[in-house]
Amino acid sequence: MIEVKNLYKRYHGPFGGGWVLRDVDFTIPRNVSVGILGRNGAGKSTLLRLIGGMDVPDKGRVIHHCRVSWPMGLGGGLQGSMTGRQNVKFVARIHGGEDRIPELIQKVQDFAEIGKAFDQPIKTYSSGMRSRLNFGLSFAFEFDVYLSDEATAVGDAAFKQKAVKAFRDRVGRASIIMASHQEGMLKQLCQSGIVLQNGTATWYDDINDALDAYRQTIGKQ
Amino acid sequence: MAQAAVRNPWQVTLHVWYALFLRELTARVTADRVAWLWLLLEPIAHVLIMAGLRTLIGRIRLIPGADFIPWLIVGITTFFLFRNLMTRGMSAIDANRALFAYRQVRPADTVLVRCALEGMLSTTVILIMVVLLNLLNYEILPHDPLSVMGYWMLMWAFGIGIALIFSVVVTVFPESKKFISMLTMPLYLLSGVMIPIQYFPTEVRYYLMFNPLVHILEFVRAGFFEAYRTVDGISLLYATWWSLGALALGLLMHVRYKFRLMAQ
Repeated sequence: MIEVKNLYKRYHGPFGGGWVLRDVDFTIPRNVSVGILGRNGAGKSTLLRLIGGMDVPDKGRVIHHCRVSWPMGLGGGLQGSMTGRQNVKFVARIHGGEDRIPELIQKVQDFAEIGKAFDQPIKTYSSGMRSRLNFGLSFAFEFDVYLSDEATAVGDAAFKQKAVKAFRDRVGRASIIMASHQEGMLKQLCQSGIVLQNGTATWYDDINDALDAYRQTIGKQ
Repeated sequence: MAQAAVRNPWQVTLHVWYALFLRELTARVTADRVAWLWLLLEPIAHVLIMAGLRTLIGRIRLIPGADFIPWLIVGITTFFLFRNLMTRGMSAIDANRALFAYRQVRPADTVLVRCALEGMLSTTVILIMVVLLNLLNYEILPHDPLSVMGYWMLMWAFGIGIALIFSVVVTVFPESKKFISMLTMPLYLLSGVMIPIQYFPTEVRYYLMFNPLVHILEFVRAGFFEAYRTVDGISLLYATWWSLGALALGLLMHVRYKFRLMAQ
């Protein structure tokens, strides 16, 4: 269960900044997968960072009662100058899994299927390869909730299928909170939805209702 | 499956330090094809070039109680320990930004680990220099190795403190990096590394003695050369206060600005 209580967040840039999130308040029950919807810049990534504990809200709290992954996304979590293998080793070590490194590397390689590129620096990867590695890395660890920030957006059809299957295998044990614009993915993986608009969040028990509401906010029926 | 048992915060921190240390070391050694060689050759070459230049053009060669070349080399390597900690330590946060995605990794960890690694490299360099010069028949073997080690550690601690402070400053105000880098040159000249403090006029010396680097450098030299006559007014207490103060302020700044430093 994840409780988000009266969350406020703003960023102070050199040119000032308005509120990104204002009084966001919801509770995600155990084993319910949630899609976060909203137009570009609505605060989806910010919300995920706050849930993942990488950033602190200006006001309000996020309470976890479970193990939450880091947000898998296009940019985050992979150091560009390190190879895929070095990144996997690093993540294994900070989680105290030094003795399981060979096993973890095998798992990530099986999932990511990026072949020789696994030993090339991440900065040479395409965005699809990055997201494959990112997903494989998160799935090598057992979390109760996985956070995904558009991580599936750039994958090919085979990878998307694989990601969906990985979640299907974990139904009942793990859930996902995903920010995405892909309606197909959201319908397949999520039960509920959150629509972000003008800094406020609206909770929908059914992802289809959330998608309808989201379409209205972007002026598309 | 692959979830570790619940670890206490110290264990988590140790695991993070271990992982970061290996990551920093691999990055330093495999940066390019000659990186592993350059790691030790660069500081040694730098020291030798400076020593060569100084013997060619310098007028002051008379150091009370020590040979000039060993005196110079001990000073330069000790100063480089500080300089490397400061300049490399303060860029540690930027270099590891992507890794803050994992909430175990905190900005202070990256600075501390990088400083530990830099300190080890500098220690290796001074050991090599001492052996090298000893083989060339210079009087450089420390007469009081234990106190040399102690003061070397003091310089290490001071460097870590300054690196912690500046790493926050350059991340919060990126413009300040230019000015801080500019600072190292005058410090080099005014810390008694190449020009002995005794040769400055008394009025100037009064102000130079505020620089804690002068104090630590003199103590390190005193540990090396038995008959060495240090500058008047050096104080271990003063240098220690600076080191502890810098460490405390640096850690406090990291606590205060933790999330500002982690922001993408």
